[in-house]
Amino acid sequence: MYPLYTTGAITTNENYLYAIFIGIMFGFILERAGFGRAKHIAPVFYFKDLRVSRVMVSAILTGAFWITLASYNGWIDFNQVFIPATYVWPYLVGGAIFGLGMVMSGWCPGTAVVGLAKGKIDAAVFLFGVLAGMYVYFDLFDSYESIANFANSGYIGKFTIDKLIGGDIYTSFIVTVLMGIGLAIFMHTMKSIRDKKEGEN
Amino acid sequence: MKDNHNYWNPLIAGFLLGTALFISFMIAGQGMGASGAFARLTAQVTYLYDATFATNAYVAPYLRDGNALANWTVIQVVGIFIGGFISAAMAGRIKQGIDRGDGYPIYKRLFWAFLGGLLIAAATRLARGCTSGQALDGAATFSVGAWIFMLAAFGAGFLMAPLFKKQWKM
Repeated sequence: MYPLYTTGAITTNENYLYAIFIGIMFGFILERAGFGRAKHIAPVFYFKDLRVSRVMVSAILTGAFWITLASYNGWIDFNQVFIPATYVWPYLVGGAIFGLGMVMSGWCPGTAVVGLAKGKIDAAVFLFGVLAGMYVYFDLFDSYESIANFANSGYIGKFTIDKLIGGDIYTSFIVTVLMGIGLAIFMHTMKSIRDKKEGEN
Repeated sequence: MKDNHNYWNPLIAGFLLGTALFISFMIAGQGMGASGAFARLTAQVTYLYDATFATNAYVAPYLRDGNALANWTVIQVVGIFIGGFISAAMAGRIKQGIDRGDGYPIYKRLFWAFLGGLLIAAATRLARGCTSGQALDGAATFSVGAWIFMLAAFGAGFLMAPLFKKQWKM
């Protein structure tokens, strides 16, 4: 029965050993996707190059498909899979700050690790910023109760799509596919508007 | 600034990334992560210099077992580095450099990279993850929060993009 670790089939140390190989897989794919350069990431915010959104939508739908299939066939105990709990307000504000940071730097934490491996100095500087930012956040979190309170506001627990609109894992899968298609259509529409404008200039 | 080698088609890269994500869920019960490793690294390094840091409300749970770095996500991020290196080396893409629009000053570019990192660190603590641990893993496991995070991040990115047009020469 899967997941191997959370169902007790492998030990913590074995899980750590697998983590290296799983990470290598991720790093290899991210680099091949072109995510080891800020130049390939930032253009998505200008609807110039949709590589980022295409890879993300494709990965989400593929991952969701495998999980739904594995759950249907009884291979995986979906309850044993880690799903981050939802905190509505901090996710909204955190998401917005994240988006600003991403268009500003051209990186996110995972892609910057790949950029660092490729020798990108902007990735290294970005990661120093991340470390400094963590320290500042820890300090503020400890000093001001209001920050901790905000970070824990809007808590609705593990909140999957079927909890929001009813139904089961299959409903969630269908809605995820629709969200993915909607996002893809939005990005392509914006890109063709942009391309047309560029053509006129 | 152009790379000599072709990258994978985005839809194929996405398919492989989603499949890798699934393998990770099947083995560890969790998917890709990145920001958590940097939070833990900061906690551990600060703690080595200042042991009183263990009482900090945010990092105390990290240090409870003695070493904040004894953690699945931290080890997996080391793997991401190795995997990124292997792929880039195989394709002849390891090259020192700074990505920026032509003629954009380097000191400005590095200032934005640093400030962006600073902001993103705080953002990941509020959002309990980043593009990997929150957006990808969460959306693939049907979490509503992942979509809240993703839409907020892209929305803010689109709104703020005009401010950084010169940096990327868009």
